[in-house]
Amino acid sequence: MINFFKQQWWKWLCAGLLLYILLAGMLIPLGPGITSIQPFVFKTDSVYTFSIKGYNTNFSANNNTQVWFKAGQEYFCSVSSKVISTDEVQVSFGIPSAVASRISDNNYDVVLNNDDDGTISLREALTLLKGSAIEIDSTLEAKVTGCKVEVNRNQANVFAFPFREILYESIRNTFYHVPMWFAMLMMVILSSVFSVMHLKSGNVVHDTIASAFVIVALFFGAMGLFTGMMWATFTWGDPWPNDPKLNGAAVGVMIYVAYIILRGSITDEIKRGRVSAVYNIFAVVIFILFIFIIPRLPDTDSLHPGQSGNPAFSKYDLDSILRMVFYPAVIAWILLGLWFTSIIVRIKNIEIKNL
Amino acid sequence: MRKYFSLLLMLVLCNGLFAQNVDAFMRSNQKIYVVTGVLAIILVGIIAFLFFVEKRLKELERK
Repeated sequence: MINFFKQQWWKWLCAGLLLYILLAGMLIPLGPGITSIQPFVFKTDSVYTFSIKGYNTNFSANNNTQVWFKAGQEYFCSVSSKVISTDEVQVSFGIPSAVASRISDNNYDVVLNNDDDGTISLREALTLLKGSAIEIDSTLEAKVTGCKVEVNRNQANVFAFPFREILYESIRNTFYHVPMWFAMLMMVILSSVFSVMHLKSGNVVHDTIASAFVIVALFFGAMGLFTGMMWATFTWGDPWPNDPKLNGAAVGVMIYVAYIILRGSITDEIKRGRVSAVYNIFAVVIFILFIFIIPRLPDTDSLHPGQSGNPAFSKYDLDSILRMVFYPAVIAWILLGLWFTSIIVRIKNIEIKNL
Repeated sequence: MRKYFSLLLMLVLCNGLFAQNVDAFMRSNQKIYVVTGVLAIILVGIIAFLFFVEKRLKELERK
């Protein structure tokens, strides 16, 4: 590790990867999706005209654009549909009361398919209100039920990040918020390794490196908390929702703040190295416990993906195009952390020499 | 110190005054400005780190 610090190539790799994740993360477009539908409430027995707005979509009269409505497990077809522009389509649809009464679900999903965008949907887009509308269309049942759901293509025909409701474009934060915690974890693990080495060898260099790693880990922890608060404000509606992972991360950062304070309070160099090394080994265990174990306990319910018993980053959370930027992002931020650490270690070494 | 405090106070006041507009702005264009905000936070963090390093280097230079 000490030899690795002295080398130069990985700094260039870090710079190149950071440039790559910045460019790829911001320039790759978002996939097609439905953002809204107007109106979003309706009553039985009458035909309504709904305006569906898409984002990055290619609605067209030539590419077989079809719209269905889904409640429970049942699909209903639209009475008619008209493409207004590439991102707007007007659909006529209604639900007869005889059909509505046998479906327990009052929320209807909108499902749209065409040959360019694949299948896109908006979950619980429409709400069926109680009571019938004034104009009653008795032929409605034959129009909307019993239609065939046939599609040519399910996946969009574009190179793009997946479109997720609520997240939208902020899914790009996967490359700027999530790797902060990966980098912090890497820094605290490396720090504890150097603490073990310090306990074995008594070499003050190892203690210096361990403490430098903790400073950089705190940097990443602070960045992770602040960027997370930013993201949470506009997706979960609160900068600090009561989420076990969030509170765990905050406690984890506090543990390492305590490490810095502990080091500051001991003046004797040998004692300081020993005590902080032992504390550091306990700290890394507790940190992993707070970040990974407690949010996964069965009775906790976290907003973060892959919690409560599920491993994070399953195939449902990250698709292959996100991965193409996400894994380089993790490496890039870890290398940046190593770079920061090497600078702090060099300053600390000069400080020790000057004493 | 006073400089930092006044800057912080200004930010808090701005946030209070324009909270509604800021909220609408951040949610516009499919929330792309949230990513901008996150990148700005990281940039501020890296610059803060540079100041931290510089402070320690200054002390060494004085010796």
